[in-house]
Order: sequence, then C-alpha cells, then structure tokens
Amino acid sequence: MRRLDDLFLLGKGDNMRSKIFAVWIAVSLVFSVAGVCQDTIKIGIVAPLTGSQAAFGEALKNGYVIALDEINAKGGVLGKKIELDIYDDQSKPEQAVQGVSKLVDHDHVPILLGSFSSESTMAMVPAVTQHQVPLIIPIALADNLLDSKSPWVFRVGASSADYARVTVAFLKDNGAPKTMAIVYENTNFGQSSMKAMTTAAQAAGIKLVAAESYEAKSPDYRAVLQRVKRANPEVIYFCSYLLDATTLMRQSQEIDLNPKYYTSAGTGFAIAEFPTSKGAGKNAEYTYAVMQWLPTARWAGSSQFDAEYFKRYNSHPTHHPMSAYAALQVAARAINSAKSTDSTKLRDAIRNTNLSMTPFGPIRFDLTGQNQHPLMITQVQGGQFRVVYPPDVAESKPIIPAPEWSKR
Amino acid sequence: MDGLLTGALYALIGMGLALIFGVMRIVNFAHGAFLMLGMYASWVLFDKYQVNPYLAFIPGGLFLFVFGYLVYQSLIRPIRNRSDFMQILMTTGISLILVDSVQLKFGADYHQTNIELVNRTLRVGSFTLNAASLLSFAIAGVLIIGLQQFVVRTRTGEALRAIAQNPSVAPLMGINVTRIQGFSFALGIMMAGIAGGLLLPALYLFPSVGEDYTLKAFVIVVLGGMGSIEGAAIGGLVLGVTESITSLYLGNEWALAVDFVLFLLVLSLKPSGIFGRQRA
Repeated sequence: MRRLDDLFLLGKGDNMRSKIFAVWIAVSLVFSVAGVCQDTIKIGIVAPLTGSQAAFGEALKNGYVIALDEINAKGGVLGKKIELDIYDDQSKPEQAVQGVSKLVDHDHVPILLGSFSSESTMAMVPAVTQHQVPLIIPIALADNLLDSKSPWVFRVGASSADYARVTVAFLKDNGAPKTMAIVYENTNFGQSSMKAMTTAAQAAGIKLVAAESYEAKSPDYRAVLQRVKRANPEVIYFCSYLLDATTLMRQSQEIDLNPKYYTSAGTGFAIAEFPTSKGAGKNAEYTYAVMQWLPTARWAGSSQFDAEYFKRYNSHPTHHPMSAYAALQVAARAINSAKSTDSTKLRDAIRNTNLSMTPFGPIRFDLTGQNQHPLMITQVQGGQFRVVYPPDVAESKPIIPAPEWSKR
Repeated sequence: MDGLLTGALYALIGMGLALIFGVMRIVNFAHGAFLMLGMYASWVLFDKYQVNPYLAFIPGGLFLFVFGYLVYQSLIRPIRNRSDFMQILMTTGISLILVDSVQLKFGADYHQTNIELVNRTLRVGSFTLNAASLLSFAIAGVLIIGLQQFVVRTRTGEALRAIAQNPSVAPLMGINVTRIQGFSFALGIMMAGIAGGLLLPALYLFPSVGEDYTLKAFVIVVLGGMGSIEGAAIGGLVLGVTESITSLYLGNEWALAVDFVLFLLVLSLKPSGIFGRQRA
C-alpha cells in the first residue's frame, strides 16, 4: 500500500507524483484549449473596484463599458464580440500583480488594461513584461511607469512630466513668478509629480523654496501649510488625490496662506465636485488644475461621450472614464489591425497605432510607449472649471494674483 | 495647539479601546471599523435629515451603543474565555464584515459634510483656531471627564474596575460579569462611534477610513499603559501633540514614523506605559 505521505516525499513516491503531474498538465491543456475556442474575445482589465480608490475604479469601469457597448454594436473585433474580464485589485499593488497572473495564466486574455493608481500600475509593469502581454495604462501619471523601457507597456494619458511642463509653460506666459513650493502626498504619484516639477521649475529658472510631503487622508495639514507659509512662495503646486484637496484649501484659508498662484497636478483639484459645495466650495476659487480632458474639449466625440455617460450614470464624466474609453478603443483597433489575438502581434499593432482624432484627442505612441497627449489648464472661476491655457482653446483669462483670503 | 484638538479625539478613541481591553482582556481589532460606523451614522443623519454633525453624534453614539451590545452578546461572549488568537480572528473578522457591508450599502464613494462652521476661524492675535475643531475638542473633553468620573464614582464603574482587577474573583463578590462586560464593550464602541462622529466634519468618509485609527488606538493605549482609562486619555493627547510638533518641525512625512518610534520606545523601555503602574 502506498501511503499518502509518499506523495510529498522524493523516492518511491516519484511515480505517483509524475502521474499527478501528468493529469494536472492534461487538465490545464484542456482548459487552455477551451479558452481559445470561445466565441468572444476577452480583454483583461485590472481596476480598483473596492478599497480606497473605488470611486475612481467605478468611473474607469463606466468608461470601459461605454467603449465595450460601442465596439460590440459595430460588430466587435475579428467578427467576435469582445468581453471585459475585470479583476478588482482592491486598490492594492500586490493584488494588481495577482490580477495579471489570474487574467493571463488562467483566463488567457491577450491584452491587459489598467490599473488606476501609479502605485498599483507600477507593480503590474514587471508582471506584464514577464508574461509578455501588452498593457495599456489609461491614466496613471507617474513618470517611472515607463522607465523600465519595457516594450510591452503603453500609456494613453499624460505623464507627470507633461503636467509639470504645461504648468511651468503657463506660469512663464502669465507673470513669470520666481519662487515655488511643492506640496505632495507621499505616494508614487506624489513623489513622481514632485520630481517632475522640480526638474521643470529649475529648467525655467523658478526657485524651489519648499517641498513638503504629507500622509494622505489626515484631518490636519495645518503644520505642513505653516511650513509653506514661512517659505513664502509665489506659487504652490499641489499633488493631492481626492478630498485631501478640500482639506488643504480649507486649511490654507484658515492659516491665511496667500500665494499668487494655487496650481495643482489635477487629480483632487480636477474632480467635478471640487468647486461645488460637496467639495471645497468657495475655497476652490482661483485654483488651477491640469486637465487631460473636459466634456467641452474640442475633439470630435467629446460631447457625445459626455451625453452618453450622463444618460447612463447621471453625472458628468471626468478624464478618468474618458481615458479608459480611449484605452479600450486602442486595444480593439489593435486586435483588428493585427488580425490576431497573439500578444506579440498585438504589441506591434499598438505601437503602430495612429489615430488622428478620438474623443480623447490624437493617439500615437512614442518609442517609450507614451502617447503625447495635449493638456489644458483650468482655473476655478465662479464655481466652474474654465480653460485658461493654452491660449488657442482658452475660455477665459486667468485671474492673477489670487486675491488674499481677507479680501475675498 | 492644533495637536491638542486632534489629541482629544485620539483620547476618546483610545479610552474606548482601553475600556474594552481592561474589562475583557480582548484586543479589539475592529475598533477603527466601529469608528467608521459612527461616521456613517452621523453622515446618514446629516445627508438625509440635515442634522448638524455636532448633534448627530448623540443618536449616532446611542445607535453604536446598542449595536455594540448586540455584537457582544452574539459574537464576543462565546469567545471571551478562548485563546487570544481566537479573539484576534473574531475582531478582525468583525472589522472586515463591517467595512465590506458598509461598502455594499453605501458604495465606496467618498462623502463629506460641508457645514459653515468648518470654514469659520477664530483669530486671537496671530493665532488661528478652527471653530469646528474647537467644538469637537470641547465635546470630547466633556465626554472624557464624564467617562473618567463614571468609572471612578458610580457603582457600575466600581464593578468595571473590579472585573478589570480580577475577573475570576469579581463574580464571587456578586458582580454580574456578563452584563458588565457587555455594558463596557458597548460603552467602548460608543466612544469610538462618537469620536467618528466628531471627526466627520474635519475629515471625509469612505469604508476603510477606520484602518489607520485602529493602529493609532493601539499606540495610544500602549502609551497610556495597557487598560488604563486615564492613561489612554493622556496617551491620546500626547500622540496628537507629538504628531503636530513633528509635522511642524520635521515635516508631515515623519509624523507616523515618530508615532511608532514612540510606541516601540515605550514598549521596550517602560512596557507598563508612560503613566502606567506595573500590574500584578
């Protein structure tokens, strides 16, 4: 009689072990063949549907679903409908890596989109490179995502270097301030934005008088802001997610911090609620944000996307669902032009993407996999985001300097 | 100064945890989740019935008291004499269930209450204070002193202390241990809930908001000496002030690090807490 323990020991159990191994191989072969024979094409998506970034995960999902319905209504790709295979990374980098393994090894998706935060997306980069599956990043900002020069990684949205460059260009054309302080959250997104701005500001001759990091989701940033106040900068550049932006502006008012320009790397300062009473309300006035897209953007299809989104979800979209929509469109076109779901062919098809006009603007990837996405700068005026830069698309003139709190 | 204001809320959170630990020897890993529940209770009242968060914490606290009692009777009581490991698993499980249920019910979206008071500042010379934080501080202060007096002066408080001192002798003295433990668990949960309610106007709300506060509550309780209620109150204030001073002079990125360095120092040098007496 063979004892069960033998299965786990080398030696006389080897025969049984190899049998089990053979069965395991056979079973996985059957499953992988089954994967190929489906009548839909699965697109793998990693998104934070739960956890601290779930609000963004939901918005991205909405964008993917609109693109999905549009593509399938036009007949899908290669004569098959596409299907979204979404993995929830729970806003955690280690789960994002799990997602890559699950979607590629088990579900056999030929291509991946995601995730949301720079932190989680950074964790996915080595994983997709190892699995040799192309990844299209919709929105994560950090510069270091493309640093590995992996041929498998592409990004539709702009990078934090682009954000810093456009902000500095705007400042140069509008009063050319001399000193700046950066206030950034202590994450991959925040640090990357800080580094990008440090480089851009120095190149433009703007002196950095303070760079303060903070832990997100605290109720009290007064100490951080006090340190900034002491440095007395003309410009503040905030790199802050979510409602921390609300707290930061409220407490800036509280401690009477009066720079001439309140600029920001978008995100928390760019979400629709920010200038309303649900966000910072009056305290949001005169703040600038870098925007990747707005419902009023000049690209054809922008207003249709806005209308469709509003019809389905009863709110206006930010650039997050828009970038997800664009990422899935790029993926679908790549599958069509590669006429295959082979990962290597898909990768080459994505690299050769050349879309002159999408609702997200033109899409074309450079050698690093970055799409050169045109950016805008808005200022909150009268509770509305108004485009103030670049001049050819500006809706209003920027109000400079921001009035002191005591005179508002 | 701002540190003291935040510290009072920390004190409230820490006292709740210390009470539960002192009376039951249960380390409540769900403390932050109950705090989150208190925030949601306040927020629902604010959102649906326009109740000011500075009043909403009262019904919110009562709700948490009842809820805490039910949790004790159904989940904590069966395991109170089991191993520490069981208790850790149980409270962690409760925490996960609470967080995920709230997410299921309210979604993962962020919410905040925007009341006029939060934007009002009192200026005393070059000194500025936020009116809302000051009010939170006052309410927390009253509750802290109230709880402390309750434990020292009332018969129930005496019973609480008796159980904390010796859980096996207390019943011999005619104390109904189950009832008192249930009561103190509920009271501890209520304190967490009220702290949540008071935190709401200054912070914002999402299902996993409590995680950081569970950790901070441990630091507070250890600072003040395990299970000592007065110690936890002081521990909370110390933590608030430490964080504030650290952020001002070293930068905010050091605040959490300094918290835990303090925590480790106390654990290794004076395990009974800064203000604690050695327990028998």
